[in-house]
Amino acid sequence: MTDGSKTMAGGFLSPRQMEKLRDFVPFIAIALVILLFWSISGDRFMSIRNWTFIAQQTPVLMLLAFAQLIVVTTGSIDISIGSSLAFSAFVGAIGMLWFGDAGLLLGVVAGAFVGMVNGLVISLLKIPSFVTTLAMLIIVRALVIIISDGTSIYMTDGSVSGGTNISSVTAPWLLSMGKFPAIFIVAAVVAVFMWIFYEKTLFGQQLKAVGGNEKVLRLVGINVTAFKIKVFAAAGVMVGIAACVNLARAGAATPQAGLMIELDAIAAVALGGTPLTGGYGSVVKTIIGALTLTVVRNGLTIAGVPPSWSQVALGALLIAAIAISLNRSKVDVVK
Amino acid sequence: MSQGKQSFVVTDPDTHSNPPLLEVENVSKSFGGVQALRTGSFRLEKGEVIAVVGANGAGKSTLIKTVAGVYPPDSGEIRIKGEPIDLNDHSVSRMRERGIEVVYQDLALVPNMSAPYNLFLGRTPRKWGIFADNRSMRAKTREVLDQLNVKTVQDLSRPISDLSGGQQQSIAIGRAIAWGKEIVILDEPTAALGPNETAEVERMVEEVRDNHGTSFILISHNLEQVQRLADRIIVIHHGVTSQEFERGRVTADRLVKAITVGV
Repeated sequence: MTDGSKTMAGGFLSPRQMEKLRDFVPFIAIALVILLFWSISGDRFMSIRNWTFIAQQTPVLMLLAFAQLIVVTTGSIDISIGSSLAFSAFVGAIGMLWFGDAGLLLGVVAGAFVGMVNGLVISLLKIPSFVTTLAMLIIVRALVIIISDGTSIYMTDGSVSGGTNISSVTAPWLLSMGKFPAIFIVAAVVAVFMWIFYEKTLFGQQLKAVGGNEKVLRLVGINVTAFKIKVFAAAGVMVGIAACVNLARAGAATPQAGLMIELDAIAAVALGGTPLTGGYGSVVKTIIGALTLTVVRNGLTIAGVPPSWSQVALGALLIAAIAISLNRSKVDVVK
Repeated sequence: MSQGKQSFVVTDPDTHSNPPLLEVENVSKSFGGVQALRTGSFRLEKGEVIAVVGANGAGKSTLIKTVAGVYPPDSGEIRIKGEPIDLNDHSVSRMRERGIEVVYQDLALVPNMSAPYNLFLGRTPRKWGIFADNRSMRAKTREVLDQLNVKTVQDLSRPISDLSGGQQQSIAIGRAIAWGKEIVILDEPTAALGPNETAEVERMVEEVRDNHGTSFILISHNLEQVQRLADRIIVIHHGVTSQEFERGRVTADRLVKAITVGV
């Protein structure tokens, strides 16, 4: 126990104080990151214009991080969410072409469907979530290419009419939803629901319990198989919502949407101090994690760091944050 | 006790309308060709404490797990209050509904969750459909811990991995006695505990039996403990419940011989 806690400040802090400090790591990290970029780039970083931009960039990543948080808390992982995002956006856009505005809801249904398929395969065929969702990442992305035929569906505000061979939907309301402050308000409302769902409901408790000791839940007769299907479906709903928000923000459903974004979502969850082994997690800290990732990327761009070097910096940040925030005395085996 | 034994012989089963609380008859179970349990038979009366003893691998755990519904037996019959249970519909949830609870050797607790969550595992009371009724869970947990005379668990919101081994044990036992209105099965309840905590557990068992009429099945390697607590001792040898002894009518040497040699 003491050995595990005797890292970093362990020499002069008690284990209990160390634990408290770990709780604050995500908050300290974001504060430091903001201070750093403020001192480097000054007003170009710390401007209302830039923060409006950040507030517009963060929501999609935050919603995807929520989806990932739901799954990771149970000790599983979902790397298919990027493909699912593109798929859901397409289904939503096609829904709008066919059924009008309400057709967008089909996007959420599509996300839930992909999640449910993940859950069914994992639970019933007993294939590890990493492998299952890796396969789904490939399959769903291929489906997107097939149904899109490589083209995009654009959202327009009606002022310009697209060419005859371009699929477009006139939905000015959706485009305005994709801008600050509407996008921020939508994200905030979903975040509040997510907080209640994750921190307060029985379902949220069960997520942590499955991550804590799944075998015990099975032993006392809880139907973990059915529960896991619901877990992945719930994450899928969140991906579906993220897809609609992304559709609004980007103004188009494109076949490349969400490429590699699953990694950002996992990174955001990890930056939020959630162990990938499951059992614990926090919605607020996941929001901070998503925000940190966006701010660092934004700050590095403003500071003129080339994109490739930004990626290196982000990877290093991820390792550093987890090295500090992970309580090794609670982790038996590192795999 | 010989009169007691005789009364079983004289009593006409038709006129005697009180069948035993639990009857297990010739149950067997094998795993992938290995027969862990050949013929397991015993009965348990209301308010009785029986012990199942045997060498490692003799089939004790298989026997009680079969009774508890962890897996259905391959053959045999299990009757509760004279009624045979449907072995096709034999599960832990079903047995829990009937008031039969198990305290497993490794306690079967979820380490990152609170004491109330663990006490209500699988039966969390709901508020407004989707929330856990935390207030009543805490109150009930307090009540159960008080009943067990456990005063040391102060903060009920902490994950139980923060509690001591003895405290965790009392949560596991508390869960079993809170829900196991009929039978509580204790699988090696004190194997990992020190002498003081062991005495505590034994006190809990006797108190609950005396005050609530709960029956206990005790699996233990500790023969002194078995002789202290159990009204009857069932010996299992190579997957067969071979012998049965009444309390105080067997010496430790005799028991050891029954366990190791089977006679």
